[in-house]
Amino acid sequence: MKFLLTPAVVVLAVFAAALGALFRWSLLEFIPGSLRPGGLTLANFRSVLAPQYLDTVWETVLLSAATTLLTLVLSYPVAYALARTPSRRARSALLVLTLAPFFTGAIVRTYAWVLVLGNAVVTWPLPMLFTERGVLVGLVHFSMPSMILVLAAALSHIDPAYERAAASLGARPARVFWRVTLPLSMPGIVSGGLIVFAWTLSAFATPELLGGGKVKMIANVVKDLGLDSFNWPGAAAFAMVALALTLALLAGLGRLTAGRAA
Amino acid sequence: MRARVLTGTLVALLIVPLLASAASAQNALVVSIWGGNWKDTVEKVVAKPFTAKTGIPVEFEVGGTIDRLAKARVAKGSPLVDLNFTTTHVARLYISDGLYEKLDMAKIPNSKEIAREAFRSEYHLGSWAYVYTVVYRPDLVKEEIAKWADLWNPALKGKIAMPDFDPSHIITIAALMEGGNEVNWQKGEGKLKQLKSSIAAFYSTDAQSQDLMKTGQAPVQVMLSVNAYHLQEQGIRVKVVQPRDYPGIVGIDTMAVMAGTKKADAALQFINLALSKEIQSELVKALRAGPVNTGASVPQSLAGQPGIFVTPAQWKERGYIMNDEVRAKNLPAWREWFTANIVKK
Repeated sequence: MKFLLTPAVVVLAVFAAALGALFRWSLLEFIPGSLRPGGLTLANFRSVLAPQYLDTVWETVLLSAATTLLTLVLSYPVAYALARTPSRRARSALLVLTLAPFFTGAIVRTYAWVLVLGNAVVTWPLPMLFTERGVLVGLVHFSMPSMILVLAAALSHIDPAYERAAASLGARPARVFWRVTLPLSMPGIVSGGLIVFAWTLSAFATPELLGGGKVKMIANVVKDLGLDSFNWPGAAAFAMVALALTLALLAGLGRLTAGRAA
Repeated sequence: MRARVLTGTLVALLIVPLLASAASAQNALVVSIWGGNWKDTVEKVVAKPFTAKTGIPVEFEVGGTIDRLAKARVAKGSPLVDLNFTTTHVARLYISDGLYEKLDMAKIPNSKEIAREAFRSEYHLGSWAYVYTVVYRPDLVKEEIAKWADLWNPALKGKIAMPDFDPSHIITIAALMEGGNEVNWQKGEGKLKQLKSSIAAFYSTDAQSQDLMKTGQAPVQVMLSVNAYHLQEQGIRVKVVQPRDYPGIVGIDTMAVMAGTKKADAALQFINLALSKEIQSELVKALRAGPVNTGASVPQSLAGQPGIFVTPAQWKERGYIMNDEVRAKNLPAWREWFTANIVKK
């Protein structure tokens, strides 16, 4: 396996170099009206720790947590059906329906949501488009296929004999679910949750299109700083702060759920 | 034997076009521009006659404003493109980084025919103009909009959209209304805050702006005149307002020669041709943007419309041109203020 070491080191070196370049840019002074950065400074970090940027980080974390929870709740029954339906045809149909969104592309799907959430198809009692609610709907829809597949894989590894044993000992279906199925599917819940949470933290297209500029997540602000304000050092600093926060959050969540997933 | 002949033919068929295309790329003038209608129009209206006249093929490198700027910066000294189209204030960033070559005006005789306002610097010249103004759908908005101040009408609450990538137009208008301008823009802060509740959405791209208008989600917009005319062509009934109180904010797209290019002469010839009366007249028809050559002819349907300036007086009276350098320098601060005070809940 030693022959794999060299390419692995090369790939990691490229990643490290890119991250290093980002870090270097975050330490260079931004000069408005010029592309040339100035000398070394920590001012970019002070700027991106201003309340308006920290609010964005907080809102991103909240939206990501809400997306993860809602995706889990909505995906679980579908994953259960996918794992346990005896009919092969029904399973295939469920699988096709689950995977179909993958084949349409994120932008097409999100544009479809622009029409649906914008009262063109349905009249909503509350404004949906260009609100956090609308962005949440888009993010959940985007995340569900992956969550369903991860949960279905976990559920299919549970031996139904455990559930039958619990039922034969007098447990009602709800109790069987809460005491047997749910705990045994915890590895899938944790894996799916971490995947959805991590990529929602870096979501861009969904908040960009469904947020109408009013709902901004971390990636949108990085783009705003870098591409609209030409503030590349500021964008690099915000990206570094966001990366550190994301890693810290994921590490914390990983530690919190390590025991449960085992 | 037959197999060898077949293989030889196949190899020749594959290699010859590759070699031909490589040779063409070496001789071609490479023009950097936005995609879609911009590239298609310049290709059809300027590049084809240019090739017919000079024999020099033209290739295009398309992309967004900032993508192309980033690429140019990376390739500084040995540019991947020879000629660049971009907005006048972004051109200031190219100039500040030494990415543009000083223009040899002797080789651009048609530059003598362009409006004074289109002569942006000794590095870049205007190619066409337009305005950011108020555009709305009369079928969805009952109140008549005739001036910038009408945007503050409470009846328009939740109906307006404007760009968030560049709020300089509305910031300058608010400042003008309060007796300031783009330099002391802070004068308009209070006025602009009053507009916050009327804004339904902010758009990041021209496509988003047009979608918001088509679907009626934001039937009143601070919009590029060119995009408004494009919507009209598509059958969307939008009214492009010639504001009675303050002029529209002029945008000028510009052409420049990349520093270090080996095809500077060809690039200058291209610019010269693009500025000629004939080509300018065609550009007006195709883009529905204003000509920079004051002798260009304008179709009757466009004459006098917002963003179409044909006389020096019209340039002066019907459009407000921001100082490029001030705009390039202030844009980050404007965006930060705008995001914190207008975009954020």
